[in-house]
Amino acid sequence: MKRLLAFILALALSGCAQRKSDEGRVLIGVSLLNLSNEFIVMLHRAMETRAAELGVKLIVNDAQRSADRQVQQVETFIAQRVDAIILNPCEVEASSPAVEKAIAAGIPIINVNSETRAAPTAFVGSRDEESARLAMEYIARRLDGRGNVVMMHGFMGQAAQIKRDRGAKDTLAKFPGLKLIAEQSAEWDRAKAMSLMENWIQSLGAKINAVFAQNDEMAMGALLALEQAGLKDKVIVVGVDAISDALQAVKAGRLDATVFQDARGQGQGAVDLAVKIIRKEPFETQVYIPFQLVTRENADKYLN
Amino acid sequence: MLHVLNVSKSFPGIRALDRVRLDVSGGTVHALVGENGAGKSTLMKIIAGLTQPDEGELLFKGRQFRPRNPHDALKAGIAMIPQELMPFRELTVAENIFVGHEPTLRFGWLDKNKMQREAARLLGQIGVPIPPTTRMKDLTVAQMQVVEIAKALAHNADLLIMDEPTSAISEREVETLFSIIGDLKRRGVSVIYVSHRLDEIFRISDAVTVLRDGQHVATRPITDTDRNTLITLMVGRDIEETVGPSATATGDVALELRGLTKRGKFTGVDLTLRQGEILGLAGLMGAGRTELAEAIFGLVRPDAGELRVRGRVVKIESPRDAIAHGIGMVTEDRHKFGLVPMMSVKHNITLAGLRGWWINRTVENAMADEQLRAYSIKVRDRNQLAGTLSGGNQQKVVLAKTLLPRPSILILDEPTRGIDIGSKAEMHAFVRELAREGMAVLLISSELPELLSLSTRLLVMRQGRICAELDPRSVTQETVLRHAMPKER
Amino acid sequence: MKTWLSRFGLVVALLCIGAALSIVKPVFLTFPNLLNVVRQISINGILAVGVTYVLLTGGVDLSLGSVVALSGVVAAIFAHPGDWPVIVPVAAGVLVGAACGGINGLVVTKGRVAPFIVTLGMMTAARGVALVVSGGKPVSNLGESFRWIGSGGVPVIVFLAVSCVSWVLLSNLRLGRHLYAVGGNENAARASGINVEGVKLFAYTICGALAGLGGVVLAARITTGQPNAGVGYELDAIAAVVIGGTSLSGGVGGVGGTILGALLMGVINNGLDLLNVSSYYQAIVKGIIIVGAVWLDQRKEKS
Repeated sequence: MKRLLAFILALALSGCAQRKSDEGRVLIGVSLLNLSNEFIVMLHRAMETRAAELGVKLIVNDAQRSADRQVQQVETFIAQRVDAIILNPCEVEASSPAVEKAIAAGIPIINVNSETRAAPTAFVGSRDEESARLAMEYIARRLDGRGNVVMMHGFMGQAAQIKRDRGAKDTLAKFPGLKLIAEQSAEWDRAKAMSLMENWIQSLGAKINAVFAQNDEMAMGALLALEQAGLKDKVIVVGVDAISDALQAVKAGRLDATVFQDARGQGQGAVDLAVKIIRKEPFETQVYIPFQLVTRENADKYLN
Repeated sequence: MLHVLNVSKSFPGIRALDRVRLDVSGGTVHALVGENGAGKSTLMKIIAGLTQPDEGELLFKGRQFRPRNPHDALKAGIAMIPQELMPFRELTVAENIFVGHEPTLRFGWLDKNKMQREAARLLGQIGVPIPPTTRMKDLTVAQMQVVEIAKALAHNADLLIMDEPTSAISEREVETLFSIIGDLKRRGVSVIYVSHRLDEIFRISDAVTVLRDGQHVATRPITDTDRNTLITLMVGRDIEETVGPSATATGDVALELRGLTKRGKFTGVDLTLRQGEILGLAGLMGAGRTELAEAIFGLVRPDAGELRVRGRVVKIESPRDAIAHGIGMVTEDRHKFGLVPMMSVKHNITLAGLRGWWINRTVENAMADEQLRAYSIKVRDRNQLAGTLSGGNQQKVVLAKTLLPRPSILILDEPTRGIDIGSKAEMHAFVRELAREGMAVLLISSELPELLSLSTRLLVMRQGRICAELDPRSVTQETVLRHAMPKER
Repeated sequence: MKTWLSRFGLVVALLCIGAALSIVKPVFLTFPNLLNVVRQISINGILAVGVTYVLLTGGVDLSLGSVVALSGVVAAIFAHPGDWPVIVPVAAGVLVGAACGGINGLVVTKGRVAPFIVTLGMMTAARGVALVVSGGKPVSNLGESFRWIGSGGVPVIVFLAVSCVSWVLLSNLRLGRHLYAVGGNENAARASGINVEGVKLFAYTICGALAGLGGVVLAARITTGQPNAGVGYELDAIAAVVIGGTSLSGGVGGVGGTILGALLMGVINNGLDLLNVSSYYQAIVKGIIIVGAVWLDQRKEKS
């Protein structure tokens, strides 16, 4: 019992202490999907840089892919009476309570990169469907509108997977000569994608003309499998994210293309938008940062 | 009230009960005595429903009684309070009393008020007011016993079996217990009182039954007998042909214990063991013999005292150390400590005897075969799983394994427990042979004939201390038992 | 006797499934596909052989996946082209794995904490260390000689080598015999003079070292040291071992069974992919097989 009281006291005091030191500074709570994901790490870094430039303080939490934990983190932010919350949602449905609670408490909440069912104060991101569309259109161009495509999905049910899937299939519908002959989830994982590609090579072999992987990790895995089987020159591989490995590969002519998701743009945009709302300046509720197709020609631009 | 007629029960290789009878009248205390292994606990288990007899029948309150489990026995009105109490320590007194038949309201909701009231009432009846909300773990052993009695009463038991109820409680608490038993008697409840404490039996019981080697020996009203007669009846059997150990010039001192103590188990044990002698260690269960042996072998650490092997003081902290010093032990429980049941006989035998990093299969097979032959271990082939052997053969495997690293000191703890007559005789022959060849043997056994026929010297242990040294050639079984029994309080 | 029976049953099961698959998808039986299967199970196989030691002593190791990630990252750091001779990253990865295993072993033996808890803690901690060391990003740009380890048939050779050495160790070394004894009846083992703590420490350390080796091979195969690699690998490894006849309570089983178990799982994975069964159903099938194998294992114990 004594220990419990002491613990509660310590917690309360630390909360107070924090408020005291930030008196006067704008405080923004940030809950990120998963800091072991390279893209989100870049997002985070961009936010920190921008916040430092603007003299704004961030409290950053890692939800470690758990929507549950994310809701708890947002509740803590609300209790700390932060000036605004930036949310990088884990799931469309399950992260919605976080948004609803923030709005009910009167704290502006901005979604970055992914959507939730509940409507936030504002949204900064890219349309995932667009990334898939760019990728598929590139494939269509390279194949002259005719050929067989296989698609590797991310974790089934995650917002990014759902959207990229939709974007890809909508685009495919516009090219009757392109056929989707197989699709499977490789769970965003390079090793799983490699195994999957090896098995597809066995069962589908020369029928495959192009591979669309919903992220670069999987694209790299597929690439490795194809290279080892000596089939790379016959198959086009496209990924999404433009992680450094993929950019190197595109520049070296191994990976055909990837789609750049402007993490910096999204991160900066989120912080800018939050500050605007706090300062009660006029703001746009939806800010879309465009995706960009990266091929060998323009790979250098993204390589820093 | 209870009539046990011609009940027999056998386990593989042993006839635990042989046409035993017992008659307990209502409102009396009936004592049950006998040596270790006489069959008392088997009989109690049958009456309490923990096991079933092979033949014979039980009549309780005039009707045939065949409990298939303790629940049946409880329902009929028989409750047992075991020697080792096992209460639900984290639950309260009231909860323990009513476990299994808690009073409930609608929808299975616990009626906590009723439980507490009833518990208080029962405890009051017994005359020991323990608050029903106390947690079991906060009670003394004596209080736990009282709760067990209350539990039995809560089931409206008419017959209570108490197994060594006074072994863990103080004198004053014994008095309380006796007055409770007196009360129970007056209310028509009967008690079967199992104990080694003959003085208590003479104080509290109305009749006494003696069991010996699974057989009913005698039943007398307590006023018709005395302490010495009982002991004689417990022990009196045809003294087996004691081929006394040949008078070997007993050799050097192999093992010496000085003041060895382990809190709660044994105190101030001094012991000398020489090469070529078989030192028997007699005593009742709980006297501390096994614990002493385990301390010598490194399975437990003593709190104080000194151990000397061949004159040098040694610290033995694990069986590995013990084996390195030339000590081997065949433990009491071969299933727990002796064999690896899923391993082959061959592997079990060589477990302690292989040398070096690499296993040389030819050497291993030869080693195993030699042991199999030397000890007449009957197996289909040496790769048979050890767990499939009969008790006697298993024990021989353990012996073979223990002797492979050539110890000079051998501790045997109940070496012939649970094995058939033939293997038993073979074991005895092995032990004699080993001693003849110079092995220093410490023999712990609950079988008096075995001790007397094998030992060259005999010690008796009682309640953690060595209380007597006897000459096995001239002493009787009664004398040994008398020394082993707890003294009058 | 019993282990042979279960092995035999396993071989039969393997052949039946293989036969069924080759009828439905003839491409299954082609050399390149079979090579794929063996290559795909190699990494899991190395882990499975490692955890066999631990399971034989009656313990368990849940940290395999995280150790794979950590050692992959550490190896990758030393594997940039021109930096070090290839033996250095390999040794670094294996040593890191051994260190994790050693820590597991020490806490289990000296600290007397249940292996489940200890290795669960290591699972989380090692993953954290991997993220710290790598800065959250995959470590890429690995040299040719290092990448060679993950190419072609090399992982298979490593797997076979590890299996052979382990098989020899467990059957012919006194230490191996002691492992079985500790798992079969720890008390009897102690009473026979076996250094039970030492044996367990050895088992956990070797398991960690092999997980480290698996991490090295994985990093070489996917050409990066990924802090997120290996998630869930421990379950696949333990499943392979249990399916192969090693009992979860210890003392029974061995490397031969593990190899068969890993093969069976690999064949099933491959078959499901060839048949284009959706990922959801694949997960269900795998789950059923694992539970089925453990259930059979328990029945064996009882009989």
